[in-house]
This record gives sequence, C-alpha cells and structure tokens, in this order.
Amino acid sequence: MAARKPIFNQHVLYDTTPLPESIPKVKELGTTSAPLMSAAFFIGARCKDYNDDFMQCKTENPGKGEFECLKEGRRVTRCARSVIKDINANCLDQFKAHWECLENNNQQMWQCRQKEWSLNKCVFDKLGLEKRIPDQPKDEVPVQFRRNQIYAHASIPITQFPYLTPSQRAEQVENLRLRDPKKAARIDLWDEQQRQKEAAEAAAAQTKA
Amino acid sequence: MPVPFETLIPYGIIVAMFGISGAGMSKIRNWQNGGKRQRRGIDQWDRVLMDRDRRLTGDLRGQAHNPTAPPGYELNNPWRVRALLEGICEPEANYSAPARETNVVEGMGVRTGTR
Repeated sequence: MAARKPIFNQHVLYDTTPLPESIPKVKELGTTSAPLMSAAFFIGARCKDYNDDFMQCKTENPGKGEFECLKEGRRVTRCARSVIKDINANCLDQFKAHWECLENNNQQMWQCRQKEWSLNKCVFDKLGLEKRIPDQPKDEVPVQFRRNQIYAHASIPITQFPYLTPSQRAEQVENLRLRDPKKAARIDLWDEQQRQKEAAEAAAAQTKA
Repeated sequence: MPVPFETLIPYGIIVAMFGISGAGMSKIRNWQNGGKRQRRGIDQWDRVLMDRDRRLTGDLRGQAHNPTAPPGYELNNPWRVRALLEGICEPEANYSAPARETNVVEGMGVRTGTR
C-alpha cells in the first residue's frame, strides 16, 4: 500500500481534443477485467507475434513508447478484438459461465477450473486456440490440469476430468515418461487399446456399409 | 444427569449474535458489490483495471464482454490535477503528442506531466 507516493487530487480534467487525423482510428476493446482474464490465454495464443512486437517496441523506446509504438498497439487491439468477437460468436455460454465465476471469486483462476476446462474444450473445437502457460516445469502436472486445486473454496468432483487437447495430452505423457515411466507405459497401452478398438469399429462399419 | 437445556440458551444467544452480525455484514457487502463477493487483496493493477471497468460500464464491479467500447470511452479517462485554474484549461486547437511532457507553469495551460 505504501508503494507509491501519495497523490492528493482535488480535480479531474477531461481532455476531449481528438487525436490528429494522421493517426488511423481503431475501435477500443470494450471487454472489462473478468472476460479479459478469461480470454487472456486465447488472446495470447492468437496474438503472440503482435504482442511480442509491441513489447519489443516499448522496450526499445524507453520513455516514449506511447508515441513510437502506436502502430504496434493498433495491431494488438485489432487482434484482441478478433479473438473476443470469435469467442462471443462461438462459445458464449461457456465464456459467460467462466467469467462470471471468476468475477465472483476475486478473479482467481484456480477457483474456476471446471468451467475453464469446458471453455477450453469449446474454444479448441471451434477456434483451434489452446491455452498454454509458458515455462512450466516438466516434473509436475501443470497447474491448469490438476484435479486438486489446493486453495480453492470447493474441491472438484472426482467425476470431472480436465480437458487436454491432443497436443497437450501428448506433451504431458512425454513429461510423465521422464518422472514415472511405468505409468506412461500404462497410458500408452491404454491408448493402443483405444486405437485398436476404434479401428475394429471402423472396419465393422465399413463391412456393414 | 443430562445437561439441562436452560444452560445452553446463553451459548445459543452468543452464536446467534455472531451469526446475525456475520450474515448481515456479508449481505451488506454483497449488496455493495452488485450481488457478487467483495474483491480482496487488490493491488494497483487491480485498482487500475477496476477503474477501467467503471469507465466502460459505469459501475466499479460492472462487467461487459463486447469487443467494442461504448462511444464515450476514449475520452473519459481523466487527468488528475491538484488545482484546476479557472478559465485556463481549454483544449488546444492543434493537439500534438508531446503535450504530455510539459510541466505546470504559472499562468499557462495546466497540463500536468504526472499522473
């Protein structure tokens, strides 16, 4: 609380001068904090390049980043707008459920894992965007896939399983192979049995048709 | 001999008093926060974001998921100034970017450089 000097403001000043015409106009994002938090990793998945450009521009222009990096900032805004539009169009129910849960829980993502899993599934199926937390250690299950969130108010029922996209699942099995090879071998065996079962069913469907 | 129920009445009264106070406080906080639990442990980032929410929706805990901001959003971010000199704060005809860096000078336009 004592991190910044106290500022005693008596008045506010609204500067209504518009920007000069030479600067292209971009529509600002109308998403508030909870939906933005919910969609954050999907924005990161689609807009990583534009965001990295913007951050690099700001790092290279210390002190005047707000003026020099307007173009990169416009790109970031447009990309985030496209993600929000797509999520609204395709996954509105799961999106709303997740951000309403976040808003009721101090915007802590570990309280709302179940709804996050269903949102992840919907977004991957419709939009192909995966949530990925960078720089996760390989020797533990990543926090968004854990069945037991230690600080959550309510524990997740044992019938609910996290949703992993195929590439995420493959990555986690590879990590598991390093720390628990027997379990990884059992998972491989199960996968093989599932594949054979599906192949058998497909063959049966072929012969029938 | 079993415990007579009269001896437990004071405990019941104490529990009821605490319970009613706690439930009442919880209800007041719920009502103040628009039907949601209160935000706790908020830092400067959360305060700035909640102020942005207020600019977008009118309420500190209001939420919206539209991709486009409402019409007045780009112009409703206030500059906080210590003293507003009457008749001097007028928008300049040619707004140019470096205006932010000018300091407060006596008798000239108030454009503070600090937030």
